[in-house]
Amino acid sequence: MEIKQTAMAGTLESSDLQIVLSQGTKGIEFDLTSDVAKQFGNDIKATIKSVLDAYDIENASVKVVDKGALTPVIKARAITAAQRALDLKDQPNWEVL
Amino acid sequence: MADQIKDLYLFNPNVKKQWENFLMEKGISVFSDQEVQAIDQTIGLFDDQGQLVGTGSIAGKTIKYIAVSDDGSGASGARFNQVVSALEMDLAEAGHFQIFVFTKPQYQASFEHVGFHTLAKTDYGLILEKGTPNIETYRASLEKKPADAKTVAAIVMNANPFTKGHRYLVEQAAKENDWVYVFVVNQDVSLFTTAERTMLVREGTKDLKNVAVENGGDYMVSYLSFPAYFIKNQDTAIKYQTALDATLFKEQLAKPLGIQKRYLGTEPKSHTTALYNETLKTILPPEVQVVEIPRLTQGSGQDVVSATEVRADIKADQIDQLTNLVPETTFAFIKDKKTELQDRISKGQKINGN
Amino acid sequence: MAADERLRRTMMFVPGNNPGLIKDAGIFGVDSIMFDLEDAVNMNEKDSARYLVYEALQTFDYGNAELVVRINGLDTPFYENDIKAMVKAGIDVIRLPKTENADMIHELENLVEAAEKEFGREVGSTHLMAAIESAMGVVNAYEIASASDRMIGIALSAEDYTTDMKTHRYPDGQELLYARNAILHAARAAKIAAFDTVFTNLDDEEGFIRETKLIHQLGFDGKSLINPRQIAPVNKIYAPTQKEILNAQNVMAAIEEAKRKGSGVIAMNGQMVDRPVVLRAERVMMLAKANNLIDAEGNYIGE
Repeated sequence: MEIKQTAMAGTLESSDLQIVLSQGTKGIEFDLTSDVAKQFGNDIKATIKSVLDAYDIENASVKVVDKGALTPVIKARAITAAQRALDLKDQPNWEVL
Repeated sequence: MADQIKDLYLFNPNVKKQWENFLMEKGISVFSDQEVQAIDQTIGLFDDQGQLVGTGSIAGKTIKYIAVSDDGSGASGARFNQVVSALEMDLAEAGHFQIFVFTKPQYQASFEHVGFHTLAKTDYGLILEKGTPNIETYRASLEKKPADAKTVAAIVMNANPFTKGHRYLVEQAAKENDWVYVFVVNQDVSLFTTAERTMLVREGTKDLKNVAVENGGDYMVSYLSFPAYFIKNQDTAIKYQTALDATLFKEQLAKPLGIQKRYLGTEPKSHTTALYNETLKTILPPEVQVVEIPRLTQGSGQDVVSATEVRADIKADQIDQLTNLVPETTFAFIKDKKTELQDRISKGQKINGN
Repeated sequence: MAADERLRRTMMFVPGNNPGLIKDAGIFGVDSIMFDLEDAVNMNEKDSARYLVYEALQTFDYGNAELVVRINGLDTPFYENDIKAMVKAGIDVIRLPKTENADMIHELENLVEAAEKEFGREVGSTHLMAAIESAMGVVNAYEIASASDRMIGIALSAEDYTTDMKTHRYPDGQELLYARNAILHAARAAKIAAFDTVFTNLDDEEGFIRETKLIHQLGFDGKSLINPRQIAPVNKIYAPTQKEILNAQNVMAAIEEAKRKGSGVIAMNGQMVDRPVVLRAERVMMLAKANNLIDAEGNYIGE
C-alpha cells in the first residue's frame, strides 16, 4: 500500500519510541536515533519492518527516535503510525494486530 | 501519577503572568509583542501538586520558549522530552512534520538527543531541524550544476521586485563564474508575492544560461534564521541573527554545493542589509569569498537603482518612470498588475522595508 | 453474576498511552490493573493508546492481577474500536464509564458478544463493570449492577458525580455518603464487587488512610488508586487481625472435620456454620495469605 500522508506516533518519553512515516521511493529507509542503536538498532528496525510488511508498505521513509522502548511498544507505535499514514486512523486492520 | 501536559492560554493575563515568571526564572526574558503574538499554541507541564514545571510554545513550525524545571529525580531530561514530544504531536496534528528550533547553545545536546539536527551554531544561539522535508531534501531539489562547472557563485535576493540593479548583479556573477545560484527569499511578506518575485527573477535572467533561479526555502533570510530582516529590531539582535543566517549558508549550502563566492550589492540605503553584509564578510571567508558589486546607478545620476524606489513609484502611480529602474519583463508585469499592486499597498502592505 | 470471590482491594489506574507505566504496572502486586483509554488519553491519541494496551496485553506479564480496561464512553466515536481491540486482546474486564442505566450495559454486552464471536473468544468470557458518575447512575445502581451475568462490579467515580451534584469533594467525604451506600447496597444485592473512588491528593496520606478506613468499614471490596504508593496502605487496612485469622482457621478446620466425617452439616461450638460464615472465613484466609500473615503451615507470622 502507498503512504497517503506523513504520520507520527509515540512520544519522546522514557520507554517510548517516536516514529514518523512518510512517503519514500527507495524501499524502507530508516533514520534511527537511539542510545542503544548499537545493541538493538537492528531489532528495532526489524520490528518496524515486520509491521510495515503486514500493511504491504513497500516504500517509506521511517524516522525513529527510540527512548528505550520494548518490542510491544515499538510494534504498537509502528501500527499506529501505519494506520495514520494510510489514512485509516479509525479503521483498525484487525488482521495486523 | 506522572506530570501532566495542559494547554496554557496566554490571552488570559493570569496565565500569561505565571508563564512569564516561570520563563524568567529559567533565564528567558524576551517577551516582545511581535514574538509573543506569533505564538500559535503554548503548553504547560504540571506536577502532582499542580505546579508549573515546564513549558513550550509553537509558532508556525518553530518550537519556542521552551523551559523545564529539574525534577530532582536524576531524570532531568524527562520533562524536557515530555514537553518537546507534546509540542511535536501538536505540530503533527497541524500537519507540520518539518520542525525548527531556535535556541540557546546549552540546549543543543538535549534537542539532538530527541532527533533534531543542528543546522547552524554560533556563540549566541543555534538552529536545529527535525523531520521531512529537510536541508538534505532541499539540497537535492536544487538544479545540478554542470559537471564541468569549476567556479560556482551564489546570490540571495528578495527581489521585491527584480530591478535592473538585481540584473546587473546577476550578470556580473554569471560573467565571472561557470555557474550561479540565485536564491529568492521564500518568506511571503513582501508587496510582490514569492511566486511573483521568483517568476520575475526567472524571466529577467532567462538569457543567462549558467544561472539557476531557486527558492531559498527556510534556509536563507527566513523568519526562522533572520526575523529582524522582516521585523524592526535592535542591532544586537540583528547581529545574532545574521551570524546564524551566514553560518547556515556557509555550512549547509556553500560547502556541500561547492559555492566559492557570494555576490552582494553594496548597500547604501538599508541599515539592516548593510549590517547583514558586514556579517557575511566576517563569517563566510576564507572558504566562501564575498564579492561586493557597487550598485548600479540610474543613467549618469547618483541615484542607485533600488526596489524601494520602484515600490514608491507604484504607490505614486508613476509607472512610466519605471523603465529606468526595471527590466522589460518586470515592467510589463507591473503595468499589467498595477491596480492590484496599488490595492495591496492601500490595504496596508508596507513598502518601505525590504 | 460472576460472583467469584477474588480479592479486589486495589485497582490501580494506568494511563493507556504511557509505555513506562504500562510496562511496570505488574510489579507492584496490585489486585486489579485498570488500563485507561478514556480520561487519561488525549483525544488525538485514542488510537495510539488502544494499540499500545493491546500489544502490552499480548506480551507483558501481569501475574495474577485482574486486568481491566476503561473504554471510552458510549457517546464517543471511540468505544466500538476499543471494545473490539480489548476483546481480541482477551482482557478480563471491560469497564464502562458514565453508566446511567441498564440499557447502556445491554448495549455494551451486545457489542462485546459480537466481538467475542468475531475474534473466536468464548462467549461470556469477557466480564464487565460499570463506573457510576452521576445522580442518575446512583439512582439506577441496582438495575446497572444486575443488568448482566457478566457484571463483576460497580465503582463510584466521584469527580464527575460531585460535579453533577453541584458540589465538589471535601476531606470528610460527607458529600459521597449517599452514593457510597447506594452503590454498595446495589453491589451487595446483585452479589458483585463494590469499588470506591480515587483519592487524588498524593501528599495527604492521612486523608487517604482515613477515607480507606471508612470505605473498609462500610464494606467496599476496595479502592481505586492512582499511584503505586497507595497500594500498601490499603492492603494494611484490609488485612485481617490475628483474632479474625484464628477464627477463620477454626471455621476451615470445622469444614475439614465435616468432610472427614462425611457429614453434610458443618458445626462449630455446637452451632451450625452457615454459608455466609464460610464465605467470610474463606475471604479472611485469602486476605491473610495476600498479606503474608500466615506461613505454609498456617502459623500466624504477622507483627
